[in-house]
Amino acid sequence: MSQHAYHHNARLAWRSLKRDLRAADVRALFIALVLAVAASTMIAFFLDRLERGLERQASQLLGGDVVLEQRDPFAPELRRELEDAGFTLSDQVDLVSMISRGERFQPASVKAVDDVYPHYGVSRVERGNGTEELASGPPRGEAWADPRLAELIDLEIGDSIQVGQAEFKVSGFIEREADQSAGFGSFNPRLMVHTDDLEATGLVQEGSRVEFEILAAGPPEALERVEPLLAELRQRGVEVRDIRQDRPQLGNALERAESYLGIAGLAAVLLAGVAVAMSTRRYVERHLDTAALLRCFGASQQQLVEIFALQLLGLALVAALIGALLGLVGQAALLALLVNFLPMTLPPPGVMPLFLGVLTALAVLVGFAGPTLLRIKRVSALKVLRRELDPMPPAAWLVVSVAALVFGGLLWLYSGSLPLALALLVGGAVLLAVLWGLSTLLLNGVLAIVQRLSGRGEWSKALRLGGRQLARRRQAGLGQLLAFSVTFFAMAMMVLVRGDLLTAWQAQLPENTPNYFAINIQPDERDPFEAAVDPHVEEKSTLYPMVRGRITAINGDDPREAVPADARGDNSLRRELNLTWQAEVPEGNEVVAGEWFDVDANAVRETSDWMSAVDATPQTSPVPISMEDGLAERLGLTLGDSLTFSVGNDDITTHITSLRSLNWDSFKPNFFVIFPPDVLESFAHSYITAFYLPDDAQGLTRELVQDFPGVTLLNVDAILGQVRDVLTQVTRAVELILVLVLLAGISVLYAALTASRPVRAHESGLLRVFGAGNRMISRIQGAEYALLGFASGLMGAALVEIATGALYITVLDLAPRLHLGLWILLPLGGALLIGLIGHALSHSLRRQAPAASLGLLGEA
Amino acid sequence: MSDSSSSYVSAPYAHASSAPSVLKAQSLCKSVTSGERSLTILHELSLDVAAGESVAILGKSGSGKSTLLGLLAGLDTPTDGELTLFGKQLSRLDEDGRAALRAGRVGFVFQNFQLLPSLSALENVLLPLEISPRVGESQTAQEWLARVGLGERTSHLPKQLSGGEQQRVAIARAFVTDPELVFADEPTGNLDPDTGAQVIDLLFSLNQEAGTTLILVTHDHALARRCNRCLRLENGRLTPFTPESLGEDA
Repeated sequence: MSQHAYHHNARLAWRSLKRDLRAADVRALFIALVLAVAASTMIAFFLDRLERGLERQASQLLGGDVVLEQRDPFAPELRRELEDAGFTLSDQVDLVSMISRGERFQPASVKAVDDVYPHYGVSRVERGNGTEELASGPPRGEAWADPRLAELIDLEIGDSIQVGQAEFKVSGFIEREADQSAGFGSFNPRLMVHTDDLEATGLVQEGSRVEFEILAAGPPEALERVEPLLAELRQRGVEVRDIRQDRPQLGNALERAESYLGIAGLAAVLLAGVAVAMSTRRYVERHLDTAALLRCFGASQQQLVEIFALQLLGLALVAALIGALLGLVGQAALLALLVNFLPMTLPPPGVMPLFLGVLTALAVLVGFAGPTLLRIKRVSALKVLRRELDPMPPAAWLVVSVAALVFGGLLWLYSGSLPLALALLVGGAVLLAVLWGLSTLLLNGVLAIVQRLSGRGEWSKALRLGGRQLARRRQAGLGQLLAFSVTFFAMAMMVLVRGDLLTAWQAQLPENTPNYFAINIQPDERDPFEAAVDPHVEEKSTLYPMVRGRITAINGDDPREAVPADARGDNSLRRELNLTWQAEVPEGNEVVAGEWFDVDANAVRETSDWMSAVDATPQTSPVPISMEDGLAERLGLTLGDSLTFSVGNDDITTHITSLRSLNWDSFKPNFFVIFPPDVLESFAHSYITAFYLPDDAQGLTRELVQDFPGVTLLNVDAILGQVRDVLTQVTRAVELILVLVLLAGISVLYAALTASRPVRAHESGLLRVFGAGNRMISRIQGAEYALLGFASGLMGAALVEIATGALYITVLDLAPRLHLGLWILLPLGGALLIGLIGHALSHSLRRQAPAASLGLLGEA
Repeated sequence: MSDSSSSYVSAPYAHASSAPSVLKAQSLCKSVTSGERSLTILHELSLDVAAGESVAILGKSGSGKSTLLGLLAGLDTPTDGELTLFGKQLSRLDEDGRAALRAGRVGFVFQNFQLLPSLSALENVLLPLEISPRVGESQTAQEWLARVGLGERTSHLPKQLSGGEQQRVAIARAFVTDPELVFADEPTGNLDPDTGAQVIDLLFSLNQEAGTTLILVTHDHALARRCNRCLRLENGRLTPFTPESLGEDA
């Protein structure tokens, strides 16, 4: 094709596009494309920024991009290697030591930091002039103390404290460390000093329990470069944490929200695609005359395709632009909603999502409109003489396959997982085939029932006539039925999933979720402590006994040899674990494999065996234990594996008889390993519990601190508040997305009704010629739409049940349930909604003279 | 064009002028099958039209006039027989090839005008110019609209024009590419007699000025009488008619 002809085509395309913007189908097409792009870019923008922000936050919480930890000082060669790779290094030493002020003693977790500290973020320190944000550690000779420490040994700023053999001046209270996640892993209060002062304390000696850390900060390429080195270090038993593996746990709530956003985005794209397909059909039908005329004047098939493709391409590009802008605004709104819980400012939006948006628009257009558009190409010039000569519409399977292929591609693009995309696609195709069959049955059923209506009233007559109209256009009706049911399905599902997500979240953190942890309760304090707390608290977890024990052998071998290479540096092998014993499965735990201990009468013999196992040697039978499934998976352990624990001066050999799953976000004491009763009692143990103290009973903490000086009380209100904030804000974000999905759904309804308008106009014109009044026509049309809506609602409800069930089990990790209300609400709501929209859309038709209505068919 | 330039012969109803042949049909057959039944619409039909000639094809409703027009213009393909347009055998061309042959060289006037409702009068006239490989100028389109008396209404949409005016736009559109051949299918079929007469006057005067070949399909004898040559389509065959033998109604 010559440049000139191309130019002509473009001009022709542009001119007809400008005029076409007034046409309902082009408007519907445009709106659908804008929505698809807006939804996908909004979510892509948001997730992209969140992802990058989380990475930065991960670095901050970790203290660096890579953190190495071991019991001995690191070799200078390793440091050089890391520096050569492009990292800046910061040294840190952790140890637990008794500190004193005068006669008061308290164990503290001492952290020594160097001048580089911190790599990221700031610490919040009170140095006598209100809280300051400082990007450094304490200077030499000074120490910053946890306010809890100050309370325990009555510290004031300026006081001197003794740490080992050195004396420090307390120059600040540290409220938040730059590199500490909001957990409560360390029970001892913190004291931060400078690494240069460490030698003077004399605490770092052969055999003392000291952790040396290198905190390395550098670009992603540096991390890439040291990957083999890190793997080797892990195998040598060095604990290696990097931002990719140790991202901060924002918890299930945010993960689910991310899944939800992803699904919702795709639902919006799918709905928009359906709308595009429907409006394209009408668009093509409307332009068949034009195409035939152009053919008559000598246009080639290629020229025709070019003219119309250019026109739609222009439309798609404008829509993509507007959609992307809306997406940009939308993600800003999404961020504004979530700003309080995102502790850092997110990096600015990137350009990638913009490309994604344009790509989405084009893909939706090609996939959902392509095969239909090609119909224009096949138009015969003879149609100018014989109107009825319309080219056959493309085969349904072709339209569906192309759309499915493109949508599958989008799924792949957005999910990043080909198997997932394929599975969804194949599932979707099977579902569609089943759906087609079911729709046919359903439509036939509904129509048969309607035809049997024997009432002589106006409404039953309208229903009969409306039903007959629907029956005459069975294929078109089926298409609409499918489109409507998929729309109802997507809309209802998003509403339902949102509701169930919220219920699940609320159940996860109910009103009286424990806000205090009490640890170090000695056995003789147990009953008095319970007596003191119980009258004031509404909700309290069991008091769990706690014994410290270290894993010394796995299946008889050195634990580090027995576990997968990448688990050799795992915390559980390097530190003592908190062990407990319980007769029953603790609340919130679920046995997922094996059997819980059989602690009843006929197990007495075995119990005595366990006792002998502890008291006497040789051991007769290993002690059954229950292990958290996550830990078992990390260490490569399964039922029947044997573990030896060193507790006190004894070794206890155990075997795993059950695996438990538990919710780490529950704000209750949780344990990796649970023993049966009567095994660990003889060892030194203390108790831990969690309880909810309402605001007006906060005075109790003072009493408890006084009466039980050895018990440590941890207030987790702040963390709890933070998690609650996350839930509230994520909920709002989810609602915002839901609005988009609903809009996409409405665009489908609009497109579908627009597409069928001329045929209905023709029918109502005929009816009027035969003498039907306005009221009758309006009732017949209302009845037809309502029947369609009713059947679509039934179908949608069935789809929702299938899909939510699958979704809950696979993606959202919730228990599936039946939604009975849906079976009533969707069909009735569908009848009402489609009936009303259809009624409103055909309002103008009813006022038209029959001649005009009859002439409308086939013309614009 | 004078009547003397053509004569009526029995078969193959060829022109007797020395002008070169624009369109030549030989033994054209067209039948359609519906289920097991086959219906022959055109039967061994031959026709030769010389450049500059005006030919009227008369026939009753359902006689196959439109089918014949479709075949002659290359909009449709015959079941059998050969058709030569501008010296090219249509059977050797595919759909696109036939379209390319028409581009800029063939004009059409339809019974139902076939104006695109969303285009203005000017844009409708521009349409064939934009398709044809020749450079289309909106100046040319404007001139043609002025020649059919609608110079002041270029921006009007078809629905803002009367039937007669719409057909005048269609005539301007048919002549705007300076075609060698114009097909007219019942050009007055949708118009009242007075308006029809005006439109016909316009069609014939433009045709005469431009020296275009005109093939006109109609059931209006008065209209047919203004052509050089009249043929009647009956039972799938063409038979010649002298103007004198035509009554007022077929």
